[in-house]
Amino acid sequence: MTEMLTWLEGTTIATFVRESSSLLAYTTVLSLHAMGLAIVVGINTAISLRLLGFAPGIPVAPLIKLFPLMYLGFTINAISGVGLFMARANEMIGNSMFIAKIVFVLLGVVSIELLRTNVFSHGVVLESGSLPPRTKLFATLSIVCWALAIISGRLTSYPYFVASLLGL
Amino acid sequence: MEVLSDLLTKTNLVVFVNDNDWVWPACEMLHFVGMSLLIGTVGLVDLRILGVGKGLPIARLEKLIPWGVAGFAMNAVTGFMFVAGNPVGGPIEYLMNMSLQIKMLLVLIAGINLLAFYLTPIARGVESVEPSGDAARGAKIVAAVSLVTWFGVIFFGRLIMYNDTLLYALGL
Repeated sequence: MTEMLTWLEGTTIATFVRESSSLLAYTTVLSLHAMGLAIVVGINTAISLRLLGFAPGIPVAPLIKLFPLMYLGFTINAISGVGLFMARANEMIGNSMFIAKIVFVLLGVVSIELLRTNVFSHGVVLESGSLPPRTKLFATLSIVCWALAIISGRLTSYPYFVASLLGL
Repeated sequence: MEVLSDLLTKTNLVVFVNDNDWVWPACEMLHFVGMSLLIGTVGLVDLRILGVGKGLPIARLEKLIPWGVAGFAMNAVTGFMFVAGNPVGGPIEYLMNMSLQIKMLLVLIAGINLLAFYLTPIARGVESVEPSGDAARGAKIVAAVSLVTWFGVIFFGRLIMYNDTLLYALGL
């Protein structure tokens, strides 16, 4: 495992991201990661807020058109995230908050798909102006997953704080 | 800048940040949540004006904007915290940071752009667009400027910690 991670860190891409003094290296990859986050979490929050009953004038059915946008943000972050991970593979794999973040991101994606299958696939119900059962549950779940992804993601930068918080 | 820095130092927020480990990470989390709220609402309206997500009436989407304003307020407060409470080098370190200066300039431009949207007939024109209709060219320009400036704010915001890279790229 360690060997593979060390190999990853030694690849041209990882070395460029980590060590190049170019503006396009670490800083731009990091910025893209923040932009992708804003797109995924922002759009997801907007959709979920509507499903929870805020801004009730917004028709629900056409919100499905925003799903590709969420996946665009997700793709930006998957690619930039792989780059950031490769640059510090050994360090990240030992970071408990990084593992937690990956879990919450995956749960976040599952929550988006749950919205698709449990809410947006019921076109007839949505056209009639009502919402399928448990819509609010799925919307809440999605907001919570992505909020936890942000919280654990930010905490990856504070391993000492996390250790003292957990009493380690 | 030094007068402003002295003023910010008087808030004693540096002491507060230094005495409480949780303050800085907590502010960062809120700063990212606020950013997402702003992009997810204001950015969404901008995208719809530009023609993404037809079927969604623009005037109705605008009802989400108060959430974006709340996100902006969160970020103004936490951002103030970062500058006034900076434990490494104090407020002056950030005030003299070129990335932060550019970021603030972009926030200002985004604000003026928003005023241009609401104080001219552009906003009312947009609100009468059909759910699947096209917005006027003027509205599209305002929306594009809004998206570019807010994503620029994110870019230069992330650059604050890596300001040397910017200076190096600019040959400074």
